[in-house]
Amino acid sequence: QARRISDVKADTDHTSFLTGTLSVKEENEVHLIRLSSGGSELICEGLFSHPSEIWDLSSCPFDQRIFSTVFFSGETYGAAIWQIPELYGQLNSPQLERIASLDAHTCKIKCVLWWLSGRQDKSISIDEENLLVWSLDSSRKAAQVQSRESVGMLHYLSGGAWDPHDVNAVALTSDSSIQFWDLRTMKKENTIEHPHVRNVDYDTKKKHILVTAEDESGIHVWDLRMPKFPSQEFSGHSHWYYQSTSSTPAVTKEFCAIPALVKLIYGWGCMTWAVKCNPEYDGLILSAGTDSAVNLWLASSSGGDNPSKSLVELPNQRSNPLVNSYTDYEDSVYGLAWSSREPWIFASLSYDGRVITLSHPSVPSKLQTLLANFEFVGIYTIYSIGMKRLFAASFVCELDAIQISFMNSRRKEKAYPKNTSDTRVDDLIWFPSPRALST
Amino acid sequence: MGTEELPMDEKAKRMRDLLSSFYSPDPSMSDSNNSPSKYASLDAINTLSFDPDRYMNLLVHKSNLEGLLQRHVEMAAEIKNLDTDLQMLVYENYNKFISATETIKTMNSNIVGMEANMEQLLEKIMSVQSRSDGVNTSLFEKREHIEKLHRTGNLLRKVQAYGDSSFRDCKRASEEAVLTIIKNLQGKLFSDSESIQSRAEAVVLLKQLDFPVDNLKSQLLEKLGQFLSQLQLEQWEMSTDSNRSNEPSNQGNAEATHEASMREFVEALRAFRVIFPDSEMQLVKLSTELLTKKLILLIHAGVVWTDVLLIDEVLPEAGLADFFLEAAHVAIKQYVASRFSHLIQDISDSLMAQTREKDGEEYSLLVTLEASKKTVLQGSMDVLLVKFENPGPDFRQLLDDKLDLLIKLKGYVIDWVQGGFQDFFRSLDDHFLFLSGKDKTISQDQGITDGLHGEKVLAGLVLVLAQLSVFIEKSAIPRVTEEIAASFSGGGVRDYEHGPAFIPGEICRIFRSTGEKFLHLYVKMKTQKISVVLKKRFTTPNWVKHKEPREVHMFVDLFLQELEAISIEVKQILPQGLIRRHHRSDSGGSTTSSRSNPLRDDKLIRSNTPKGRSQLLETHLAQLFKQKLDIFTKVEYTRESVVTTIVKLCLKSFQEFVRLQTFNRSGFQQIQLDIHFLRTPLKEMAEDEAVVDFLLDEVIVATSERCLDPIPLESPILEKLVQAKLARTKAQNPPTS
Repeated sequence: QARRISDVKADTDHTSFLTGTLSVKEENEVHLIRLSSGGSELICEGLFSHPSEIWDLSSCPFDQRIFSTVFFSGETYGAAIWQIPELYGQLNSPQLERIASLDAHTCKIKCVLWWLSGRQDKSISIDEENLLVWSLDSSRKAAQVQSRESVGMLHYLSGGAWDPHDVNAVALTSDSSIQFWDLRTMKKENTIEHPHVRNVDYDTKKKHILVTAEDESGIHVWDLRMPKFPSQEFSGHSHWYYQSTSSTPAVTKEFCAIPALVKLIYGWGCMTWAVKCNPEYDGLILSAGTDSAVNLWLASSSGGDNPSKSLVELPNQRSNPLVNSYTDYEDSVYGLAWSSREPWIFASLSYDGRVITLSHPSVPSKLQTLLANFEFVGIYTIYSIGMKRLFAASFVCELDAIQISFMNSRRKEKAYPKNTSDTRVDDLIWFPSPRALST
Repeated sequence: MGTEELPMDEKAKRMRDLLSSFYSPDPSMSDSNNSPSKYASLDAINTLSFDPDRYMNLLVHKSNLEGLLQRHVEMAAEIKNLDTDLQMLVYENYNKFISATETIKTMNSNIVGMEANMEQLLEKIMSVQSRSDGVNTSLFEKREHIEKLHRTGNLLRKVQAYGDSSFRDCKRASEEAVLTIIKNLQGKLFSDSESIQSRAEAVVLLKQLDFPVDNLKSQLLEKLGQFLSQLQLEQWEMSTDSNRSNEPSNQGNAEATHEASMREFVEALRAFRVIFPDSEMQLVKLSTELLTKKLILLIHAGVVWTDVLLIDEVLPEAGLADFFLEAAHVAIKQYVASRFSHLIQDISDSLMAQTREKDGEEYSLLVTLEASKKTVLQGSMDVLLVKFENPGPDFRQLLDDKLDLLIKLKGYVIDWVQGGFQDFFRSLDDHFLFLSGKDKTISQDQGITDGLHGEKVLAGLVLVLAQLSVFIEKSAIPRVTEEIAASFSGGGVRDYEHGPAFIPGEICRIFRSTGEKFLHLYVKMKTQKISVVLKKRFTTPNWVKHKEPREVHMFVDLFLQELEAISIEVKQILPQGLIRRHHRSDSGGSTTSSRSNPLRDDKLIRSNTPKGRSQLLETHLAQLFKQKLDIFTKVEYTRESVVTTIVKLCLKSFQEFVRLQTFNRSGFQQIQLDIHFLRTPLKEMAEDEAVVDFLLDEVIVATSERCLDPIPLESPILEKLVQAKLARTKAQNPPTS
C-alpha cells in the first residue's frame, strides 16, 4: 500500500518522483522512480528501506537528495528529514541518512511542507493541534524549532499548503475551516468557514487562488480576495465514476446571465482525496479520489480580475470543466504529483501501490493543444510498488497498438515482452491469468 | 599697518593736489595755505612759490651725496610719474571730445527724420477735427426729434387717465351676461330630462360662445364611467349570485337587470354620440374598457357578444369587433398568465406545507407527494378546461356572426395556451431547483435570505421533488399534450408555421434531468449524514490500544437506524422496483474472485507466512487484470435502488475511514464483529446482495491490511455476540420486533 507521491523538483535532468510505502506489517520502502527519456518506462532509480510506514512524503525543492517523511511506528508518529546516500545503481538497498528528526510534536503529525518557490532553510510541520516552523541546517544535520503555535484543541488540523507567492503565508485545513497564518507573527490572519477539507493546494502561477478538495462537496476554487464564496466548484469525485450530464444548455445559459463568477456543476460529490494545481498552466487542476479515478479539470480563468471579460468568454468556453477522467485504477487514488520539469506529465499513486504516469510524446506549446492532448490517451506508464518482488508493468497505449511488457525492474530486464498490436485497451482484461504470468 | 598706510595716503594726496593745482589757476588758495618764504624746506617744491634755485641750494647744503643721489632718483621717478599722469589726462580729454562730436553728429541726423513725422501728425489731427464736426451736425436733427416725441408722450399719458374708467364698466356687464347664458345652457345640457335635440342645441350654442366644450365632454364621460362601474358592480353581484345559487329564477332576474342597465348604457352612449359627434374615439375607448373588464369577470358568460352587438349598433364606425378582439387578447393573456402563476404558487404551497409541519411528528411524505401531484394535474386540467370549454359557447355564438374573427381568436388562444404551458413547466422546474436550495447562486446574488434557505433543506423534500419531476415527465405532460390535442383537434390553425409552442419533448427532458439531479442530491445528503457518524466512530477511539470486543458497537445501531429512516422515507414515495436480486452468480465471475469470504479467511491467516506473501502477490496481480467490479450502477427511481446506493456509498466510506487507522488485534476483531452484525440487515435492505457482501469483505480486508496482528475472531464467538446483541434489542423494544 502507498499513499503519497512527490515530484522531485530539484532534479532538473530527469522527471523523477519519490514515493513511500504504507504497510503495517512489512518493511517499508522509499522508491525513487525515474521516467525514461521516451516517457515509456518508469525505472526504479533507488530503493531505500524506511523504518516505519510513510503517511506523508515530500521532496525538498532545492536538493534532490533530501526529502521529508511523516511516519507512524505503530505507537507514535514521527517526522524526519532524510538524505539519499550517493549509491545509485548499487544492488543492495542502502540506508537512508537521517539529517534531522522533527520531534517536537505531541499528537498526530499530518504533513511536512517545503516552500516551493526557492531556497529556504525552513520547513513547516503540522500536527493535529500545532503549527511548527523549523530552521534547518543541513551541514550540521540539525533542525531547531524556530517557532510554534498551537491552533487550539478542537480544530483538528488535517493538512496545509505553503503559499508559493508569499514565504510567510500558510493555509491550514481543519475540521471546520481553512485558516490562513502569517509565519512572521505566528497569528491567524483569516479563516474561511468551510468544513471537511481534505487537501489544499495553491495555484503556483496565479496569486490568491487556492484549490480545496472536500469529503462531501468536491473541489472548490477560491479567490482569497473574495473569501465568502468559492469562485468555482466542481463535482470532484464520488465513490464511483459518474460522468455528470447535468450541464444542460439551459443551465449554462442561465449562469451566463448572472453577473457572478460562480459556476456550479453538480454531480456526485464524495471523498476527493487529493488536488493539485499544474505548476505551469494555470487553471489546470488534477484531482484524485475514492472512485479509483484521476480527473483533470480546467478551471475557467474567470476567477481572475475582470469579470466582465470572462462573462463574454463564458459561452465560448468549454461547457464541461472536466477535461478527462482517467479510470485505469483498481483502488482509491491518494497520491498525485505534477512533474515540475515537464508539466504535461503527472504521476498518480493508488492505494494498491501502483504509480501511473501519463505523458504525451509531443511537447505542447499552448494550453489548448495540451488540453486536446489530455483528451486522448497518452502514454500510460505503470509501476508497481509495495511488494517484496518488484514488478513494473509498462503499458504503451497508442490508439490501436498496445505493447505490454513486464519486467523485473531491479535487474532492468524484460521478463515478459509481448506485442499485441491488434488488441485494444479494453481487451486487456482478457489476458492470460496472472498465475500463468508469474511463473 | 597704519604706519605703512599713512605714507601711501600722503603720497596719493600729494599727487592729487598736484594735478588739481594744474587745473586750478587760482594761486591765492594755495598761497594762503603755504607761504613760500616762511620755511625753506624741501616740501616747498609743491607750492606755487617754488624757486628751483633756492631749492637746489637748500638741497645741496642740507644733504650729502648719497642723500642727493637718492633725492635724484626719487625726483626722476616722480617726474616720470607726473608725466604719464599728464599724458593720461590729455588722452582722456581728447577721448571725451571725440565722443561729444559724434553725439552731436547723430543728433543732427535724427532731427532731420523727425520733421517729416511731425508733419504727418499735424495732418491727422486736422482730419480728426473735421470728423467730429460732421458727427455733431448729423446728430443734431435727431436730438430735436426725440425731444419732440417725449413731449407728445407726456401729453398722451395725461389723456389716458381721463378715458379709462368708463370702458371697464361696459366690459364687465357684457361678461356677466355671457356667464349667465352659459350657466343656463350647461344646466340644460346636464339635465337628462331635456330632449336630446335641445341638449345638442345647447352644446352648439356653447361652442359658439367659445366655451371650452372639451371640459364638459370629459365631465360627461366621467359620468358615463361612473355609470359603467355601477354596471360592473351589478355584473359582479350577478355572477356571484349565480355562482352561489344556481336557481334559474335568480339567474334570469340578474340577467334581466343586467340587460336593463346595459340598455341604459347604450341609451346614454347614443345621446352622447349625438351631442358630441366628434368624440367617437373616447367613447370607443370607454366601451372597450368596459368590455375588457367584463371579459375578465365574465370570461365564461356568453353575454359579452350581445353587448358588443348593442354597442356596435350605436357606434358603427368604431369597428368594435376589432377592439373586442384585441380586448379579448389582452384579457385571455392576462388570465392565462395569472392562472399559471397561481398554479405554481399552489404547488409550492403544498410542498412547503410539509416543511412547516415537520415539527409535528406525523408528516407523511406520501401525503405531500399526492397533494402536489394532484395540484399539478388538477391545476393544469383546470387551466385547460377553462380555456377550451368555456370560451366555446362564445365562439359558437360568434360563429354565426363573424367566422374570421373566431378563427383568428382561436389560433391565438391555442398559441397562448401552448406557450403558457411551456413557460409554466419551465418555471416550475426553476422553482423546484430553488426549493431544493440547489440554486445557491441565485440566492447569493440576490441576497434572498428566505427562511427556507437558512435552515437545511429537508432531504425528504428533495426526494418528493425528485418523484414529482418524474411524475410530471411520465404522466402529467403526456396528459396535457393529449388534452391539448383533443381540444384543438378541429382547429386547423395557421399558427403552426413556427411549429407548436408547446414542445413536450423538451419539457420531458428538462424534468428527467432535474429528477435525476434531485435523486442524486438525496442520496448525497443521506450519505453525508451517515458518513459523519462513521467518521466520528473512527476518529474517537485509539484503535491501537483497543480492548477486546465484548459486544457489537452501538454505532451499528445508529447506522441501521439511519438506514431504516431512509427506507421508510423512500418507501412512502418511490415505487417498488422489479425484484431482481443479484446473487453472486449474476454479477459475473469478477465478484467471485479471490476476495470471497471463505478464501479470504484462509488468506488472512496465512498472510504472515512466506507462502502467504506469495499469495498476496497473486492477489495483487489478480487485481491488475481483474475486471473492474461493476459495483456502482445507475440509481433508479425505485426504493431498492436508492437504498442500495446509499448502503454501497456508506460501506465505501467505511472502508476509506478504516484505511486511515491502524488497528491492533482487538480493534480488528471489533470491526469484524460489527461488520458481521451488519451483514444480515444490510443484505435484507439492499437489492444487490453480492455487491454488499463484497463491500463488507472489502472493509474487513482493509482493516486487516491496517492491522498489526490480524487474527480474526472465530465464527462461534461472532455468532454468540451477534445473537446477544439481537436478543438485547428485542428485549428493549419488543413491539417493533
